[in-house]
Amino acid sequence: MKFERETVSDEIPTSSMADIAFLLIIYFMVTTTFAATRGLDFALPKNEQNPPVVEKEDSVLIEIRPSGQLIVDRKPMQLSQVLDYIKPKLERNPMKPVIIKPDPDAPYGDMVDVFDELRQADKKIGIEIKNISIPTEREIEKFWY
Amino acid sequence: MRIRSRSTQNPVIPTASMADIAFLLIIFFMVTISFQVDKTQVVLPKTTVRSEVPKKSAYISITEQGQIRVSSGEEISVPVPGPEDVLSFATGVVAQDPEKPFVLKADRQVPYRYVDKVIDALEQSKARVIYLLSDQKTVNSKTELEQSTGGSPQQ
Repeated sequence: MKFERETVSDEIPTSSMADIAFLLIIYFMVTTTFAATRGLDFALPKNEQNPPVVEKEDSVLIEIRPSGQLIVDRKPMQLSQVLDYIKPKLERNPMKPVIIKPDPDAPYGDMVDVFDELRQADKKIGIEIKNISIPTEREIEKFWY
Repeated sequence: MRIRSRSTQNPVIPTASMADIAFLLIIFFMVTISFQVDKTQVVLPKTTVRSEVPKKSAYISITEQGQIRVSSGEEISVPVPGPEDVLSFATGVVAQDPEKPFVLKADRQVPYRYVDKVIDALEQSKARVIYLLSDQKTVNSKTELEQSTGGSPQQ
C-alpha cells in the first residue's frame, strides 16, 4: 500500500484579514456621526448672592413678542435695525447692558437670532457688546419687582 | 544567439498590504469617533457665531413638544418628567465636575418658557458655561429671515 504524505503550507492564511478589516471599517463609518457640535456659548453669572444690579433705565431692553416681533426700549424694531440703535449708546458707555427678555410663548429660535445678532456687534458696528444678559423669569420676579 | 526563455507570470493581484491599509483606516476611525450621547431629533436654530462644543459636555435636549432629555456626556440621554428634574440632574453633574460645560439642544420652535426653566435650573446648580447648539446660518437662511415680518419666522 502506498501512503501519500500531505503537504502542509507553512504560511499564515491572511487572505481573509482584509475582509475582516473592511468589515470593521464599515462598522466605524456607519456609527461615526459628524454631529453638529457647535453653538453659541455664554457664561452664567458666577455668584447667585451678588448678581450685578442692572437698572432697567440704564440698559437697552429687547423684548421678544410671541409673534417674533421685537420691541426695543418700547419701540417696535426689525432685527437688522437693532445694532444701529444700540451703537450710539455703546459709544457713550461701552459697558451698557443689553437685556434680552423673550415672552414665555415666543419661540426659542427668535431669542437665539437676537443673541446671535448682538454677538456679531464687533463685526457689524465695530463695538463689542460686553454686557448681554438673558434674565430668567425667576430673576426678573426677584430683582425687578 | 540564445533566446532567453519566457518568464511565466502568475496572474495574482498583490493583496498582502490590503490589510495594513484597512487597519490604518480602522485606527483613524477609532481615534476620531465620538459616540453621540443624544439622538433627539430637533430643528436647531441657525446662527452665525458658533464655537466648538468641548467633548464630554453634558447634554440637555428639548423637543418642540417640550420633552426634556438629559445626559451627563458619558451615557445615552434619558428622559426626565419636567424642568424641575433638570435642577437635580445638573446639581449632580456640577458636584462631580464644577467646570463641566452644558449643551442646550433645543428645537427652534419650542416656547421660550421651557428653555427659561432649564437655564434657570442650570444657573441655580452653579453651572459655568452653556452652549446653545445651533446650525450654521447661511446667506439663504438669512434672507428668509429678513423676508418674514419682525425679522423672525412666524409660528
